[in-house]
Amino acid sequence: MLKDLAEHVKASMSIFGRDDTDLYGLLAEFKNPGELVHAAEGVHTAGYRRFDTHSPFPIHGMDKAMGLGNSKVGVFALGGGLTGLATGYLLQWWTGAIDYPLNISGKPAFAVEPSIPVMFELTILFAALGAVVGMFAMNGLPRPYNPLFYSRRFAQASDDAFFLHVASNDKYFDVEQTGDLLRSLGAVHVEPIFDREEADEDL
Amino acid sequence: MSSAIKTTFFPTWLVDPVRETAQHARGPFRPVSNRMIWLIPLAVGIAGLALAGVAWSVDAKQFYFSYLVAWASCLSITVGALFFVLIQHLTKARWSVVVRRIAEALTWGFPLLAILSIPILIGMHDLYHWTHADVMDPADSHYDPILAAKEPYLNTPFFLVRVAAYFVIWIGLSLLLYRASIRQDLDADPTIPARQRKVSAIGLLLMAITTAFASYDFLMSLDPHWFSTIFGIYFFAASFWTAHALIALVAILIQRNKALSDVISEEHYHDLGKMMFGFTVFWAYIAFSQYMLIWYGNLPEETLWYRHRLEHGWEAHSAALLMLHFIVPFWILLARGAKRSKAIMAIMAVWFLIMNWFDMHWLAMPVLHPDQASIHWASLASFVGVLGVYLALFMYRLNRHALVPQNDPNLARSISFST
Repeated sequence: MLKDLAEHVKASMSIFGRDDTDLYGLLAEFKNPGELVHAAEGVHTAGYRRFDTHSPFPIHGMDKAMGLGNSKVGVFALGGGLTGLATGYLLQWWTGAIDYPLNISGKPAFAVEPSIPVMFELTILFAALGAVVGMFAMNGLPRPYNPLFYSRRFAQASDDAFFLHVASNDKYFDVEQTGDLLRSLGAVHVEPIFDREEADEDL
Repeated sequence: MSSAIKTTFFPTWLVDPVRETAQHARGPFRPVSNRMIWLIPLAVGIAGLALAGVAWSVDAKQFYFSYLVAWASCLSITVGALFFVLIQHLTKARWSVVVRRIAEALTWGFPLLAILSIPILIGMHDLYHWTHADVMDPADSHYDPILAAKEPYLNTPFFLVRVAAYFVIWIGLSLLLYRASIRQDLDADPTIPARQRKVSAIGLLLMAITTAFASYDFLMSLDPHWFSTIFGIYFFAASFWTAHALIALVAILIQRNKALSDVISEEHYHDLGKMMFGFTVFWAYIAFSQYMLIWYGNLPEETLWYRHRLEHGWEAHSAALLMLHFIVPFWILLARGAKRSKAIMAIMAVWFLIMNWFDMHWLAMPVLHPDQASIHWASLASFVGVLGVYLALFMYRLNRHALVPQNDPNLARSISFST
């Protein structure tokens, strides 16, 4: 149960597991961004949910093609913002009225009015940090080790190649059928990726 | 087909400075043929104004204040619409081309507002304490040295000159941009966008100055002892915000009448919604900036203005303003889905139009009734009356031409715009 949940959360961050034969999934290469979007659509329509795409630049409409739905970064920003608001309030109250009360021209030791700028700024700061941290977390970054790095061709993903990776722990995954599907969607090259957690001697 | 637009003459000119060009509108941009969209507001508006006339005969002073509030809330929409047009031209905005004609038609509300300012000028003596000769006279028992010191600015002839200058500038800018845009509908002259941009560069500067000073003159000088340099920005925030709300509302109304069906999409509503959401925060930011400095400074001549708005029932109005003009709409419009939903956007647009009036009411009415907060029926009648006539003439004008600038080079990109 807990293991399933962990696997699900990791999959949403594009960190997939391997199967008994150490198979991490199939990596398919496509000719251009248009075909990659089309392939992502096809894979999603076929029922696959654990797959990811890799391209040298952001592709407009890819999130829709992959069926990713609305980004959840906003929730992190909101959480950060509310935390900042509360932190600002508590900071002003504790420093002003409890820890070191000072009489400044007869003003109350703590009042909401002068505290709002502090609360506002901390809301913005924490919301921004929440958004950045949330974005990294949702993307599963930083990720120095990725089994896809075993593929020689994959190095081109940051240059001029477009890849789609279907994870072996997707419930529809089957080496033969998934490979056929990817080829029918226009993949120019499909290779299995194994995750052996060992250094690549050739590198 | 003649490609030149024809100028209209007074009094039609007040409604629309150019002759109808709807017959040249291309298929998807054709105006709404349903006359009810302007006849209904016109009927409601005339009824409201008639009721306001009754209010005048009962209690003229109350009427003048109520009328000023209604007039100022329509002025703020028009000022905001002109800012909208200027900014879209200056930034070469693409997303907004499909809704720009709505804003352009709104800006031609200025001639009507100039006519509708006559009751305010007639009621100046009741509205503005600084118009009283006795407060300026050192020999008089009502002599007020503070107001006397402000006499070089706050005097009736200079006030009238300023009001005339505002309207000349506002109408002039609107005329240049509106005419150019309608002309573009018939004649895709490629030099038009560059010229609109030039007018907008100068126009934005003029608008910044005139909007700030108009808000000082019409609203801030109701309480002539009080002053706040941020007041102009407060009025601008209300203006720009409400203009977006009305643009969204009118777009929804047009689409309900089966026009612009595939032209305005939820992407455009999303962007209008983002601006509305952003300006709830901007308005609150400016309102609070004004409040906090006065709270901190704690000087009697400044705090009195807030004191009037925090006692005798006005504290409830202040609290309502904070809740209903900031906190509640903030949470409603925060969600992405809300801004992409026509139903929620329509509700929020009406909400903001009403709250903008309530904001103007909160600015002006405590001057008349510092001892007892109330919303007088004359205020409601004036609001319905002025807004009804204003919207009726706007809707009529909007439907005399294509509903979008149909030859704008960025129109296609605006239609296919997506975030």
